Amino acid sequence: MTITVSPIFLYNVVRGEQEAAELWDGITDKQLADWEGEWVPELFKAVQKLHRAGVERGRWPQSRHWNWRTKTETLQGMLAHPGFSIVCNGMTQGMMIVDTTTKRCRIGEQKGKNLVYVEFVENAPWNRPDLAQSPHYRGIGSVLVRAAIALSIDEEFKGRIGLHALPQANSFYANTCGMSDLGIDPDYQNLRYFEMTPEQAEAFIAKGNQP
Amino acid sequence: MATKKTMTLNLTDAEMRVLNDLCEKKDISKTAVLRQALRIYQLIESRVEKGDKLFFEDEKTKDKAEVMML
Repeated sequence: MTITVSPIFLYNVVRGEQEAAELWDGITDKQLADWEGEWVPELFKAVQKLHRAGVERGRWPQSRHWNWRTKTETLQGMLAHPGFSIVCNGMTQGMMIVDTTTKRCRIGEQKGKNLVYVEFVENAPWNRPDLAQSPHYRGIGSVLVRAAIALSIDEEFKGRIGLHALPQANSFYANTCGMSDLGIDPDYQNLRYFEMTPEQAEAFIAKGNQP
Repeated sequence: MATKKTMTLNLTDAEMRVLNDLCEKKDISKTAVLRQALRIYQLIESRVEKGDKLFFEDEKTKDKAEVMML
């Protein structure tokens, strides 16, 4: 498996400055080891904290059930399902798997056209504002959305992307990314479906990195 | 992005017509159509090899028709 590594920057919240990081166009054993050795225990602690604080189960992070090893192994080598990851300070900070083939656009003006559909995207627990009191790095979601847009352009889909958002991320996709909110999808776990047009993709890319 | 290699493809008139139609319908190049076709072919083959079946479902009636992969 050949991985292309591209230089990017994340915002280090603790130091209050940009920090050099890497975007990998794949999910490797390193990412899975980071997930098993660092993410899972951290997520477990965060869920335990929520439980002890009396937060109802429905408001716990829904991605706690995701098994990145199973997902990655199932889709390994499949051209239709490329993966991406972000590494900063030697640690995996975010991962994403997309589908470039089976999904189609829903917005009227681009209905039926191909798009890059974001199947799974997750931030390391210590970067999530809903889990960590002071997140370590910001900008991971934006870099991954930009990677999905870049792939969409490379596939000649003109930047069109789509995804179903976990409730904790609705505001990020609507407000930060400027995607169209097509409402609750009763056929997909009642999650909200968001889609990006080429114009929205262009606007998001033009915005650049903002801490 | 990964580096790409160039190849020559020999198609019949009928195949070329279908390829051109798909390019027009999808608003993408011949290369992009064929890359998509490869992704779908690989995806279906891997599922069928595992013993899965491929169905088309009518969105309204929910009738399902199995696509026989030989």
